[in-house]
Amino acid sequence: MFAPVSFILQPGQLAVIAGANGSGKTTLLEALAGLSLLRRGEARFAQSAEQHVWLQNSHYLGHKLGNKANLTCLENLQFVASINATSVTQHQLELLLEEAGLAGYEYQFANDLSAGQKKRLALSRLLMLNKTFWLLDEPFVNLDHGGCDWLYAMIERHLKQGGAVLLTAHDQKKIHALADHHITLQPSAAEVSS
Amino acid sequence: MNRIIKFYHEMGSPPSFYRITSHWLTPLLVLALGLTLYGLIDGLFFAPEDYQQGDSYRIIFVHVPAAWMSMFIYAIVGVAGIMTFVWRMKVAEAVMMASAPIGALFTAVTLLTGMLWGKPMWGTYWDWDARMTSELILLFLYIGVMGIYAAYDEDPRKAARLAALVAIIGLVNLPIIRYSVYWWTSIHQGSSVSLMGGSNGIQDWDMLRPLLVMALATKFYFLYSMLSRAQSYLLKTEQHKQWVSKAIDGQARHKPGVSS
Amino acid sequence: MRFQALVKRDVLVSWRKKSNIYQPLVFQLLIVTMFPLGLGAGAQTLAKIAPAVVWILALLSTLITLENIFKDDFEDGSLGVYVLSGMNLPLAVLSKALAHWLTTGIPVILFAPVTGMLLHLPEQANGILMLSLLIATPIFSLLGTIGSALIMNIKNGGMLLSVLVMPLLAPVLIFGAGAVLETTLGNSAYGHLMLLSGCAVLCLTLAPLAAAAAIKINLE
Repeated sequence: MFAPVSFILQPGQLAVIAGANGSGKTTLLEALAGLSLLRRGEARFAQSAEQHVWLQNSHYLGHKLGNKANLTCLENLQFVASINATSVTQHQLELLLEEAGLAGYEYQFANDLSAGQKKRLALSRLLMLNKTFWLLDEPFVNLDHGGCDWLYAMIERHLKQGGAVLLTAHDQKKIHALADHHITLQPSAAEVSS
Repeated sequence: MNRIIKFYHEMGSPPSFYRITSHWLTPLLVLALGLTLYGLIDGLFFAPEDYQQGDSYRIIFVHVPAAWMSMFIYAIVGVAGIMTFVWRMKVAEAVMMASAPIGALFTAVTLLTGMLWGKPMWGTYWDWDARMTSELILLFLYIGVMGIYAAYDEDPRKAARLAALVAIIGLVNLPIIRYSVYWWTSIHQGSSVSLMGGSNGIQDWDMLRPLLVMALATKFYFLYSMLSRAQSYLLKTEQHKQWVSKAIDGQARHKPGVSS
Repeated sequence: MRFQALVKRDVLVSWRKKSNIYQPLVFQLLIVTMFPLGLGAGAQTLAKIAPAVVWILALLSTLITLENIFKDDFEDGSLGVYVLSGMNLPLAVLSKALAHWLTTGIPVILFAPVTGMLLHLPEQANGILMLSLLIATPIFSLLGTIGSALIMNIKNGGMLLSVLVMPLLAPVLIFGAGAVLETTLGNSAYGHLMLLSGCAVLCLTLAPLAAAAAIKINLE
């Protein structure tokens, strides 16, 4: 699909993957997330190639957001928390939704949200789960200006706290400026510039 | 012993599998055709008449070998499925997917010849006896393996691994299915007409000989057909590898009138 | 606990989308109406075929619900949420099967005497009918997880699912419908029910592994 690519993300670093449509950005992210086995290659977290270590420390958000349409915002978050063995109180979840700009939508079905709000709901999982490594596939798509600023601030804060972020994005000058690595996927040879 | 191990390893790699089996195809085809011709002539013209069934029993020379093959090939599909699933062997994958349609074909031939035989014997084309019912279910198992492969045509490797899983599930269930079906007929109806030429089976050597010859012929036909299918499967799935273009170049050079 | 969280979520989703629950029952009612229309309304004729028809209806009406066990989760991405949570995958399959059984199996068991009554199934057979379905409906759900995991990626995979699952269901139908038939004939259904339980135990141990393998391959 694409030429070999290899990179190391240190704590506090952001890598942005670029490439034309169909260059395999999503495939790379899914492979790293563990949704598709790497046909050849491996992902290591803190020197460990064990898959469960990787899964414990990373969170992936793809095109398919993973919200259940006929659960409310609160129920959606509650489920993600329990399936990840994270305990949260109702109050914490309400604060989280407020931060994501979804105050007042706590008891709305995910189905009734707009595309941007669905994205915000999914992104708020990142804040709840407290994983070190975020893998985000086009996180800025569907977000309004306010939403983009919120996400940008969220990523910045996460990096300051020693997290690492790998994402794909188009036309996001701000996020490209923040990036430590730019990875361009090409059919011939991938280009990594730091 | 070392030779056997070496041979086994060679057969596991697509290029040497292709190279080695290329030499086998013609002899296998000749053997299959020769034995079929001999078996059919022997069975249809020289074997004695059955004292109960007259000439109509002669269909067993096709029916019974086909029935044996239908089971035998499913076992091969299942074992190749395990090898595909556990070791991800490319050649096992090719053997599995090459065998399935041949097995389905033999199953269909078994069912059709069984029906044609049933008409004069039982007065009906179809009877829900244990053998025919389990043969029909076997056909569904084959269709399942091929169906799942066909459904994932955009990613042949994934398709093959899923088909292997289906084949393994089928292999585990086949004994249960057969047992339950036989148990079911033993309860619901008396035991049906035995398909092996009367209740005491075949004792006459003149009858047995063409049957055994045909059984051998179907084995050779299966080997020929499976290997040539497996070869084209490998050529297709490995088309971007270097050995494929070499193999095709080599073939083109041997054939006059083909310019590369 | 993760297991409970997944079961709870699925039951809630089905409960909100009521069609998941009543669709199989409406299907049964529709088909059961066709039998007297096509066969004649004679009570004796109907009673004769009742054990088999009631059982086949329970099976078919479950079959039409199997496709969605994993397909919905695959399509909205929530499959990734629990696969990537690090949860043991066969355990996740078991909880999906349990949720499917709670929302489809139980209604089908409870509805069986109704179709039985409509087809003049002798009343003394109702106990065995429900008992046989109590053993068999978990098998439907478990085999359904395999079928659904195999076809979740395919458009219109329902037909393929039926082809894949039908051979596996043949023994279940033989033992289950056989149990009811033996009861109406005044015989003991003990042997049938034991064999059916054997199938259930086998499914309970192997189906989660097979379905988990299918999910893994499908996500590759």
